[in-house]
Amino acid sequence: MAYDGSSARGRLGLRPMGSYKREQTVEDPRARQSWVAEAGESAEQAAGESSATCIEVRDLSFFYGRYQALQAINLELQARRVTAFIGPSGCGKSTLLRTFNRIYELYPGQYATGEILIDGSNILDKRQDLNLLRARVGMVFQKPTPFPMSIYDNIAFGVKLYQRLSRYDMDERVEWALRKAALWNEVKDKLKQSGTLLSGGQQQRLCLARAVAVKPEILLLDEPASALDPISTLKIEELIEELKGEYTIIIVTHNMQQAARVSDCTAFMYLGRLVEFADTDTIFTRPREKETEDYITGRYG
Amino acid sequence: MSLYVRRRIVNAVGLALSMLATAFGLFWLGWLLWTLVAQGLPWIDPSVFSQPTPPPGDAGGLANAIVGSLLLTGSGIVIGTPIGILAGTYLSEFGRKTRLAAVVRFVNDILLSAPSIVIGVFVYELIVLRTGHFSGWAGGMALALIVIPIVVRTTEDMLCLVPVSLREAAAALGAPRWRVIFAVVYRASRAGILTGVLLAVARISGETAPLLFTALNNQFWSLDMGGALANLPVVIFQFAMSPYEDWQHLAWAGALLITVGILILNIIARVLGRARQ
Repeated sequence: MAYDGSSARGRLGLRPMGSYKREQTVEDPRARQSWVAEAGESAEQAAGESSATCIEVRDLSFFYGRYQALQAINLELQARRVTAFIGPSGCGKSTLLRTFNRIYELYPGQYATGEILIDGSNILDKRQDLNLLRARVGMVFQKPTPFPMSIYDNIAFGVKLYQRLSRYDMDERVEWALRKAALWNEVKDKLKQSGTLLSGGQQQRLCLARAVAVKPEILLLDEPASALDPISTLKIEELIEELKGEYTIIIVTHNMQQAARVSDCTAFMYLGRLVEFADTDTIFTRPREKETEDYITGRYG
Repeated sequence: MSLYVRRRIVNAVGLALSMLATAFGLFWLGWLLWTLVAQGLPWIDPSVFSQPTPPPGDAGGLANAIVGSLLLTGSGIVIGTPIGILAGTYLSEFGRKTRLAAVVRFVNDILLSAPSIVIGVFVYELIVLRTGHFSGWAGGMALALIVIPIVVRTTEDMLCLVPVSLREAAAALGAPRWRVIFAVVYRASRAGILTGVLLAVARISGETAPLLFTALNNQFWSLDMGGALANLPVVIFQFAMSPYEDWQHLAWAGALLITVGILILNIIARVLGRARQ
């Protein structure tokens, strides 16, 4: 279904992305994938498939050992839009988000059933290479997680994994990513300083820059602003606004105002089910389901 | 109110007792250091560092024993540290909740508290008897067996302190597992791991029993790891037990050297440990 799996995980070296592309012998035209590519290339592809479905979730269930956290979710997400997942704690919105890059596989006993199609190919397929998937689907977590290295190296770390850039190109990429994350002006004179010395809001923008630097197609944001003060939160939201033309963004948030402000579509989840999924305006003004209405009017707390 | 008064009295008594206990412990440590300095310092002179151990009655120093100790401790660390770090990495990163890891952890704890003389006899049986002679390598092996459990334990503890979120963040960028560990997890815990290694150095640089059975001693200048090798602990043991006064003086000087060396290593380890935060 996906590509033929010829690039087994262990063989992943540090070769540039292009060489993988040549290796993939695509059997099924539906499985043709636009892997991470150089900027110009991806812009062209972007033009071709701008309103296409990017992620299609079919009958997705998720298990923490024997506990079932997601109940047969079906969902279609549009490319280059911002989708928000809202719902009370423990409803499964983070769990759902974590299936899109299969980060849950770090932990034994957690598994998903069903299908998640990204650009037509099922990423839950066993043959899907996890590291390549994660290079396409970036993620930013709730707590800022700067690596214990310099600001520059924080950004370069992910880029170096899949691309060999000259020093000059790398400098440029780092600046580009930091500018995208609106952090450049604050750190341009201290790129060699440790990333862990930045403030919380700056650290989170550093993480965002780090995720953007590898040029993923999809960005997963797991409550990216919940540990930040209002000013940093505002900056993150402005960033999302700015990035959404180029990336498919999915954001999990506890904050309904935030969902209303930044997202195009909103999914309301409750007890592991997807209750309602529609345009953000519709969800917040004319929800179809009573549960949604109760939640957005604050009746669940 | 009487409850409050009672609580204050109990507090005062408890505080006094714990301070007394602290003072008791520190008193012996202070006395020990004082004796060492008083007895050892007068005999520390350049010849201690430049001349080999003398026959009774002659002038001499500890140069061969100092160099031998450095060689033995160095080889013990070089052999033991990589094994210890790798095993600690397995326990923390790969086997965290598996049965095998639990067994390894348990066995490691036993090894950690194994009497060092048992390790000495074991290596004697394993290497010295088979090769037919005492050797520096056998000594290094014995010390490595003491180093391994210490490094395994500290490495595992330090790696476990690295937040899971950091590993997730690195994996989410598409980094393969080995790269997550080398580039991010090790880097985040490197001061802690180094502290563990330094503590292991401090521990083995004073070990006598394992060396008695393995490297033994050598009254001549030697850098040959394949033969018997002089070392400070065994020289101190031999000289302190002897009836010759100049030997006893050298034993005091050697004891002071080891203690100061360990003290310095411990201080470095502390400073590095603090730099982690």
